[in-house]
Amino acid sequence: MTAAAISVATLQPDSAGPMLSVGNLRAYFRTDHFGVHRTVRAVDGISFDVRRGEIYGLAGESSSGKTTLVKTIAGAIKPPLEVVGGTAEFTFLPGYDGLHRAPAAELARIRWRHLSYIMQGSMNVLNPVRRLRHSFVDFARPHMAGTETEFEQAVIDHLARVNLDASVLTAYPHELSGGMRQRVTIALATICRPDFIIADEPTTALDVIVQKDVLGMIRGIQREIGSSVLFVTHDMGVHAYLTDRLGIMYAGRLIEEATTAEIFRAPLHPYTRHLIASLPRIGDDAQRKGLEGAPPNLADPPPGCRFHPRCPLAMEVCSRSVPAMIETAPGRRVACFAVNGTKQP
Amino acid sequence: MSALLDVQHVCKTFTRGGVFPSRRIHAVNDVSFRIEAEKPEIFTIIGESGSGKTTLARMILNIEPPTSGALLFDGIDLATVQSSADRMAFMHKVQPIFQNPFEAFNPLKRLDRYLFITRRRFLAAGDDADIDIAVDDALRRVGLSLKEVRHRYPHELSGGQLQRVAIARALLSNPRLIVADEPVSMVDASLRMSIVNLFKTLRDDLGISIVYVTHDLATAYYISDRIIVMQKGNVVESGEARAVLNAPQHPYSRQLRAAVLLPEVAAAAAPATTSS
Amino acid sequence: MLGILRDLLRYNAEFRIGTVLVGFVLLLSVLSGFSPYPPQDVYVVPPDVPPSPAYWFGTTSRGQDVFWQLTFAIRNTLLFGCTVALISRILALVIGLVSGYKGGWIDRVLMSINDTFIVIPLLPILVLFYFVMRDSMSWLMLALIMACLGWAYDARLIRSVAMSLKNREFTQSSVFSGMSTREILVQEHLPYVMPIVFSTTMNNMIWSIGLEVTLAVLGFTDINTPTIGGMIYWANQHTAMVAGVWWWIAFPTIAVVMTFIGLFLLAVSMNEYIDPRSRLSRMGRVTS
Repeated sequence: MTAAAISVATLQPDSAGPMLSVGNLRAYFRTDHFGVHRTVRAVDGISFDVRRGEIYGLAGESSSGKTTLVKTIAGAIKPPLEVVGGTAEFTFLPGYDGLHRAPAAELARIRWRHLSYIMQGSMNVLNPVRRLRHSFVDFARPHMAGTETEFEQAVIDHLARVNLDASVLTAYPHELSGGMRQRVTIALATICRPDFIIADEPTTALDVIVQKDVLGMIRGIQREIGSSVLFVTHDMGVHAYLTDRLGIMYAGRLIEEATTAEIFRAPLHPYTRHLIASLPRIGDDAQRKGLEGAPPNLADPPPGCRFHPRCPLAMEVCSRSVPAMIETAPGRRVACFAVNGTKQP
Repeated sequence: MSALLDVQHVCKTFTRGGVFPSRRIHAVNDVSFRIEAEKPEIFTIIGESGSGKTTLARMILNIEPPTSGALLFDGIDLATVQSSADRMAFMHKVQPIFQNPFEAFNPLKRLDRYLFITRRRFLAAGDDADIDIAVDDALRRVGLSLKEVRHRYPHELSGGQLQRVAIARALLSNPRLIVADEPVSMVDASLRMSIVNLFKTLRDDLGISIVYVTHDLATAYYISDRIIVMQKGNVVESGEARAVLNAPQHPYSRQLRAAVLLPEVAAAAAPATTSS
Repeated sequence: MLGILRDLLRYNAEFRIGTVLVGFVLLLSVLSGFSPYPPQDVYVVPPDVPPSPAYWFGTTSRGQDVFWQLTFAIRNTLLFGCTVALISRILALVIGLVSGYKGGWIDRVLMSINDTFIVIPLLPILVLFYFVMRDSMSWLMLALIMACLGWAYDARLIRSVAMSLKNREFTQSSVFSGMSTREILVQEHLPYVMPIVFSTTMNNMIWSIGLEVTLAVLGFTDINTPTIGGMIYWANQHTAMVAGVWWWIAFPTIAVVMTFIGLFLLAVSMNEYIDPRSRLSRMGRVTS
């Protein structure tokens, strides 16, 4: 019995449009009590699409807002975080403008079967006092029809895809290494063949050798299932290795978007250019420099373009207006006055 | 040539299980190397988690005693450093930089406090004006200034800035050796190079030797003079940094080198882009 | 600070109620300064008068005004609780911080002593002390003895916080900045430990007051200084319940119950405020 024999009822998404469509999403942390009055504009007007079957990378450093963006898209919003405006809509859940507005019943329907979420520190997501088999039963069984034996066989087959033995099912999480636990989490997230996978820094805590293996597995499974993946990490090397398209975030805004190859070959936005130029490479003795200054405080960001205090190409207009994301070439967008001039979108 | 730091056959074993130890973990197994006093260098220890590199760094800093073997700093065996006067004399010369810049300082306290205390405790007393100048000097060396840092709390600065304040603090005692345990792994990539470049400046301008512990081969390649690669407590390869990283000999070093993800898209591996 | 208090009062029902209760009890104890009758005197008013406009809480069989007696009683009881709490906090802090930071044999020795004190049965020991010391057992003496018995639980709590703080990197930064152990404990670690100390203070007060009332009701303390327990003791001596003088027992009991509930609610709400996550989730419920 193979996994294919298990029927997983899927809602056939509309085959023309993108899997995920984010439109001018804004999400702020509002604190108004206990002596603290502050609004942190963590996600401030972000729009992008993730197409069917592609791996879309989101790059950004600390305080870029990428984790908040991902949480908002996944609907994991708790006060003081609130969505102030915009949409983040999946094709398989139309009509609600985003998961944060959908009722619990709809969320239960799509979770794991259409959307799965590999979180940061995933290896700690497994229940430490239960054997791994129980995690699979708890998470995946409700979404998969078929008998117990068929389910068990499907799980074993799926684990084999991430190079894990069936014996893993009888182990406790602490008996496995970090890399193995991460592979289990990936298996869990993909066993129901979801349409969309959100991965938030899944390999950050892993050793370099294990990381490469795990990334290869993610790519392999993704190709086989045909899911779309939103892959978030600050590590540019990982993006270069894995993603198809790449969006660069800075201080709560998306500033550049293109295919990964293009971004690394010819970055346009000053921040991206500086970022890529500053990455050291083995075998390359060239002197490299870090960026001046520090990322802005999102509670009190600079007016206009948020990068302008550190930008070598800053002009007068940059401190007054926010540059819009303009398509400079098919599939390439940049938000920068120096690059686009004063073109309007 | 006298040795600044002489690590001699150092081993560290952790036993688990209380009175009747059930498991022995050999965190560090027979590691030896020397850093000469006359020639300041950046000596890198490369390893993954569980390789023992952090344990080794802690032993060099005299935070943990070795199970066997000896560590000599400037000819003095660290095992003999007992009294508080001895320890102060040691810390005067050897200072640490830790991995997490957000944890390097007490979140509830102001940053400048640590700088002033370090200066006061380790160097000859001066009046407040002298101390201010010394602290400002150290901060300028790392690219900041006392004006920017005075009265600030850690949460008001970025990771890169905090790490630089930590380096300034370490500099205030005029050390001969700085032990940096993963100093840039938690710092943003765009800010990393300014700190890594700073280490080079410390070696070249101030003559401070640096023990740089990391898992990141790229930055190691960029600044190291000599390098040792550790795996599960053992040194598997050592030598001149560029030579080892460009052409590693040991299978584990080769594996490490091959696993490094380059920040460029290799044509062969570029996956076919799907059209929508 | 004021903003925080105002928000706590507004959004946290437990804090509101706790503040009202404790405020009322404090008011009573302050009023003791205005009492027209010295607390030790007896037969100053007609005995056994039920609560009435002239005597708000009635009078006792010993000819004392229950209301004014109560103000003294609650004042002394609160003072007692505060003294025990203060002394035992200091002991718990010193032992907990040193033990947690130093580790090794110092830790083992101190914790063995600590565990011995936890295990000691309190009531028999206190009764024993009373029988040995008899008349020289003033309430200050009793407070000291109870403080010496009441630090053990919290010392362990503080020790575990100290142990986790020792492993944080800023402790090493402080060491390498040349700070001495005493400086590190007081300047770096104490601010982390204070919130716990604060909330355990309330628990400690409840515990010590409860124990004192128990002892006093049984007659094992200095019964001439008016305390809540003392009032109940005298009421029992005069078989107040049987005689129908219910107000002699009721009002002290209500007062001490109000104190307990008030302190407990304050402790609970302060605990919730101190933990940032629960503070945020309560705020979230308010705004959403």
